[in-house]
Amino acid sequence: MIDFTWLIGGEAGFGIMTTGVVFSKTATRSGYHIFDYVEYPSLIRGGHNAYEVHVSESNISHLNSAIDVLVCLNKETYEKHKGRLNDKSLVVFDQDEFEITDDVKKIIIPFKKILSNLKGQPIMKNTIALGASIGLLGGDVDELIRIISEQFAKKGEAVINFNKQFVQAGYDEVKKNYSTLVINYLNKSSSAKGTADEAKLVLTGNDAFALGSVIADCRLYSAYPMTPSSTVLTDLAAWQEKIGMVTRHAEDEISVINTAIGASFAGVRSAVGTSGGGFALMVESISFAGVTEIPLVIFLSQRPGPATGMPTWTEQGDLLFAVFSGHGEFPKIVLAPGDNEEMIELTAKAYNLADQYQLPVIVMSDMYLSESHKSVSKKFVDDFITSYKVNRGKLINDNSKVKIQNSKLQVKSQNFLRYKITEDGISERLVPGTPGYFYQANSYEHIEDGHTTEEAQPRIDQVDKRARKWKTYLSNDFSMPKVYGDLEKSEIVFVSWGSTKGIVLQAQKLLTNKKIDSAFIHFNYIYPLDKDKIVDLFKQDKKYILIENNSWGQFGKLLTMETGFEFKEKFLKYDGRPITAEEIIKKISNIKSQITNKS
Amino acid sequence: MTNIQDFSGYNPTWCPGCGDWGIGIAIKQALIQLGLNPSSVAAVFGIGCSGNMNDFLNAYAIHSLHGRAIPNAIGIKIANHKMPVLAIVGDGDCYGEGGNHLIHACRGNHDITVIVHDNGVYGLTTGQSAPTAQKGFKSKSTPTGILETPINPLALTITSGATFVAQSFAGDVIHTISMIKAGIEHKGFSVVNILQPCVTFNKVNTYQYYLKNVYKLDESYKKDDFKTAVQKSLEINEEKFPLGIIYQKEKSSYTDELTQLKDDTLVGKKRFTDFDIITKLFI
Repeated sequence: MIDFTWLIGGEAGFGIMTTGVVFSKTATRSGYHIFDYVEYPSLIRGGHNAYEVHVSESNISHLNSAIDVLVCLNKETYEKHKGRLNDKSLVVFDQDEFEITDDVKKIIIPFKKILSNLKGQPIMKNTIALGASIGLLGGDVDELIRIISEQFAKKGEAVINFNKQFVQAGYDEVKKNYSTLVINYLNKSSSAKGTADEAKLVLTGNDAFALGSVIADCRLYSAYPMTPSSTVLTDLAAWQEKIGMVTRHAEDEISVINTAIGASFAGVRSAVGTSGGGFALMVESISFAGVTEIPLVIFLSQRPGPATGMPTWTEQGDLLFAVFSGHGEFPKIVLAPGDNEEMIELTAKAYNLADQYQLPVIVMSDMYLSESHKSVSKKFVDDFITSYKVNRGKLINDNSKVKIQNSKLQVKSQNFLRYKITEDGISERLVPGTPGYFYQANSYEHIEDGHTTEEAQPRIDQVDKRARKWKTYLSNDFSMPKVYGDLEKSEIVFVSWGSTKGIVLQAQKLLTNKKIDSAFIHFNYIYPLDKDKIVDLFKQDKKYILIENNSWGQFGKLLTMETGFEFKEKFLKYDGRPITAEEIIKKISNIKSQITNKS
Repeated sequence: MTNIQDFSGYNPTWCPGCGDWGIGIAIKQALIQLGLNPSSVAAVFGIGCSGNMNDFLNAYAIHSLHGRAIPNAIGIKIANHKMPVLAIVGDGDCYGEGGNHLIHACRGNHDITVIVHDNGVYGLTTGQSAPTAQKGFKSKSTPTGILETPINPLALTITSGATFVAQSFAGDVIHTISMIKAGIEHKGFSVVNILQPCVTFNKVNTYQYYLKNVYKLDESYKKDDFKTAVQKSLEINEEKFPLGIIYQKEKSSYTDELTQLKDDTLVGKKRFTDFDIITKLFI
């Protein structure tokens, strides 16, 4: 089975990011799945950028430990990544720029000479490297040129043709001097590709959130740029005129969330997006949305904190903060997709849940999920679009419905009972502007018609009413964690949430190769949890291993709080880097030897 | 035609003699005179004695958090730009806690009307000094006198991009009605700063004080000249308070410039379903 990793590295500010996406698209258009990952410092120029693409015949969302093709645009790339090379790996570099004395398979491409011959700018080194890489992997150079042409379409024919020369030069260099080293990993016509003709989208998790929002008919997205959530704003801002939505880049995150609350009150589906620091600023208003029962979707893409932390790296450190965000007691829902497919589904679901239960819904991501591209089959997206139904719950936006109630030549407007006590906790919501009525959404405690109250009984009634929404949600919409593998048969049971899904699935595969059975309980519906249903999964005599990208084991703590279950084994990583399947396997070997010693 | 009863909710709980009474009546009168009714107007209230008007005024309303009424109002306006939207706020609320929102709302020329109750104190929390309090003002939070110089609401909003800035005095309800009406009718960001005595906690800026220090701008005043307006607004630093429209300029508002709102409101338009134009970007 074809499964390899290509990595390109160089100085920040020299186009590594765009180059990586072009490579990913070349691979998906040749029929493969991809998952990629970028490493970059929090600055625009200088520093080291690395972009790796994991290409596979199967649907993946993890990284390999070995690098098969390492493209070094500077010496630092080689030094930083040589530890991941094996004896089959190919190293692409320019001998005129630096020497490699180690015994590795060298592909020498004269970047410097080509640039000077063709009068190119330093940034075009990437283009040469792409041509050389596609040549080396037996890929389709015409497809590569097509993608580059699409990218430069707005800049005109001259720019496209100028760039083409550099692709060709890199490609020719390989064909001329290294034809014996060509590995046909990207060969379109090679066999064993059942899905070769299936179109795929190359999306980041942020793209997937943006797409899910469009599918769900989100009409207002407000945000303040913050890594790693910013590209949701830039995506939607780029599309807004075409799709008829409005994006607002407000002055701060407080304004961001309050803009969305205002728009949602007025009847449009609204969302905000941020990372930990911006989320902290929003927290007061999450409580406000909670008590006013105004639907809101909040995209929280985590990065390592505290405070400014490590802005361009990954962590799952804000889970408990999200779950308990907001002063006072009010219901909210927290969801955490594990990959792009789940991001599209759960994002669109989040808008329905927000409307149905009239509360804030937080969709959790992190840098690993938000900024990595993963291929998603076009058919999957199309099928999801067909099956998705916008459910606005008890919103009354049908003017005719209200007009009928109001047809008796009534002069005086009535106070609509916005917070009417109901059995399921959910009250009807009226779009402001509907004739014949008025009401206020009140951040103070209030009675059924929205007026302020400080009386004991109405307070209790409203607290209980809001709490009943959670009960209704748990019985109607809560989804159990997905179990991968055979829970009955396996002694080892992994437990994780959100973006670590693909990594744990890969660890399971590696264990299967070693003839070790494992099961994996993966949580998407994070909070509230249905204790009675969940607890059964944790009753068995198994080695439950908690896997999280943070240092506290926050989901473990949440599970303990809700069910009383405590994890004895944990694999926690908090150095800003994603977990790898190999690290999990190492942890398992330790546990396994304990088990063996015991028996 | 609606009447004052249609707009009247609970009986106000303001102190007898409070400037809020005059402002409350002025807002209702302005709405009536503009032909609006409780179903056709949106109001967002801040937190404070002024914000408590939420229970006394019938409308589609949000009683917001302290300082956050302006971004809520902007959100409502973007969602339904055909609806008049008011933000009814206090000076601590709008110039203190929500100061950043005010500045940027001016820049955006959002078509909302901000009605500020400017009484120099925090009434609801029993009289601490507000950002508009004059330097040296003694209060519970500044027992030896406030060290900061006051905010100049007029100069701040004019220079930040507001296209309608007016000032009135709560003791002159007729004039306040006309200022609020003009503010709502103005297309773009409008601010009406209303000088208002707090009879309980502010013993300096009383009715007598204002009657002595306010004056109405005369007919010859050129409200559309930016430099004149800035100059005029600086008079309040000398405790001279001009009443009237200090500055007004025609300029397209935020929602005017959103081409996606040309044909319909955001809340009223049909769902977008041509998803292929988005998915094809990623292939």
